[in-house]
Amino acid sequence: MDTISQDEVVQILRIMEESNFDELCLEMGDFKLILKKHGDSELIQRPSQTGEISGHPEAVQERQSAPMDEKQTESGKAASASGKDKREIEAIGGDPEEGYIPIRSPMLGTFYRAPKPGAPPFVEVGRWVSADDSVCIIEVMKLFNTVKANIRGRIVKVCAENGQMVEYQQTLFLVEEVDGAGETDKEEIPS
Amino acid sequence: MKGISRVLVANRGEIAVRILRACRELGLESVVTVSETDKDSLPARLADRAVCIGPPSPMESYLKVDTIIAAALGTDSDAIHPGYGFLAEQPRLAEACATHGLIFVGPKADDLRKMGDKLCARKLAGGAGVSIIPGSELVRHPGEAAEAARRVGFPVLLKAAAGGGGKGMKIVARAEDLRGVYDEASGEALSAFGDDRIYVEHYISNARHIEVQIIGDRFGNIIHLFERDCSLQRRYQKMVEEAPSPAVSPELRREICDAAVRIGRQIGYENAGTVEFMLDQDHGQFYFLEMNTRIQVEHPVTEMISGIDLVKEQFRVAAGDFLSVSQEEVRLTGHAIECRINAESPGAGFSPCPGHITEWKSPTGEGVRVDSHCYSGYFVSPYYDSLLAKLITRGTDRREAIDLMQYALASFVVSGIDTTIPFHQFIMRHTDYLNGNVSTHWIENRLVKEYEKNGGNPFR
Repeated sequence: MDTISQDEVVQILRIMEESNFDELCLEMGDFKLILKKHGDSELIQRPSQTGEISGHPEAVQERQSAPMDEKQTESGKAASASGKDKREIEAIGGDPEEGYIPIRSPMLGTFYRAPKPGAPPFVEVGRWVSADDSVCIIEVMKLFNTVKANIRGRIVKVCAENGQMVEYQQTLFLVEEVDGAGETDKEEIPS
Repeated sequence: MKGISRVLVANRGEIAVRILRACRELGLESVVTVSETDKDSLPARLADRAVCIGPPSPMESYLKVDTIIAAALGTDSDAIHPGYGFLAEQPRLAEACATHGLIFVGPKADDLRKMGDKLCARKLAGGAGVSIIPGSELVRHPGEAAEAARRVGFPVLLKAAAGGGGKGMKIVARAEDLRGVYDEASGEALSAFGDDRIYVEHYISNARHIEVQIIGDRFGNIIHLFERDCSLQRRYQKMVEEAPSPAVSPELRREICDAAVRIGRQIGYENAGTVEFMLDQDHGQFYFLEMNTRIQVEHPVTEMISGIDLVKEQFRVAAGDFLSVSQEEVRLTGHAIECRINAESPGAGFSPCPGHITEWKSPTGEGVRVDSHCYSGYFVSPYYDSLLAKLITRGTDRREAIDLMQYALASFVVSGIDTTIPFHQFIMRHTDYLNGNVSTHWIENRLVKEYEKNGGNPFR
């Protein structure tokens, strides 16, 4: 077994919630799941041995090790402060404007990666999305607005932190646009 | 400052710059909300942080209560300063602040509501023993309006109960015009304020606009900082303000300032506010007009003659402190004048003139103050009001303030767009203005025509 279903993740989350453990790390082949009770959780689908996502498998590794408190905003001041982030993007294939397409926030509000607390995130790095896929929620005063990808491609970077305020037009995700990625094969990794 | 450490400035332009300066002086951290167009604006650069709240259209950015509250909470701000315009006098924002444990730097929501309803404000003023302009209660149809008009005497003004600031008013000269104007006025009131309630007021033809700055703390201390004369208006929009008023004697000053404080006291008013009066020059009588429950555009003229920083005082009382001065300590010294420099073409019917400012050189020197957000290369957006700068001069007396203003206007260089600077130069040299012989209709009835005849040359 080298994959895990969404239901199984939810089940693990439930067990974890009721347990006394603060942290859980599950590794099954290429699949790695890290859960932290009082912090941020990450679900990382690594590229399989047989199917390469792209020519940059280290990009995903890099993201995995990126500190969670790192902020990246669109405002000029904050952007200059996040030089590390920029270098990281460059390391994985150039300027975000050149290489990847940003998914931007349609409004100022709180950024949520999952439909509800404890649920798995809508999307992860490496995940294929099509235009109609929900990628996150922006909450403004208890009003939850689902954000669609509006693009077909692969998520290469999550640029905002879960539970933090994002500004209008702030980049939330970077997407590698792929014309060939169809509706049906979005869950799979094309070989 | 006790209770406030980080302020969200929910405004733009010169007033955002002004508020940020007060924050800096008080040692408060600042966050400014910006629309997409204002991301590189001067306030965005001066604030500790700028957050983008939406597209350029005010309806989708500066007027969104929920977004502004979310921005305040998301940046860990503990107070919101609304400036003027936008949401400054909207009880919704003040209420939302209270709900979310934020300090609203302004009056209580309830006072915003009371004074926002012009009929209610008239009643309150009357209750405080202040004369109100002869007029009616609410009129429900043209018949009632006609009856009220006969009672108070033509000409009359039809006013929107939810109006204010010169908006939602129509003059009716004769009885036969009333029906048509009534429909127009209530229709406009409905579309502008979402409220078609109308009342009738006698129209004072030879009036001056005199307003009194007041400020109160939560311990019941309410003081006035003297009057401002804002008679120079065009289409009910102020162009030049000065303090003290050349038309107000020391006795009248005592009376009118006392009336303003009584109105404030009547409702236990907190924070900065302005009580506006019409001074009937033919009968030497003043009447309550309305109350503005915010910091006003022209507040600098009061600061220049009283030496009191009104915005800092706003923060102080909002944080729950006492006013820093008592009435006895407030002194009026010198004379101050403010010219509003707008992006408008005075030679083309004052049509708005947005665009790129290619060169911006503002005057400097002793007694000259410029409140502005503009600079060389700044783009004046068509989305917002046309105010570019407030040019304020202060002299030991009126003549000196005028001389300084003439000098300052002449050395103010703005290229790339048209401004009202040449029109102000025309005003500052006019005998009527020099003699203090003006009314609220002087600009429209006399000056605009003379200016056009002179081909826009202030020195001919």
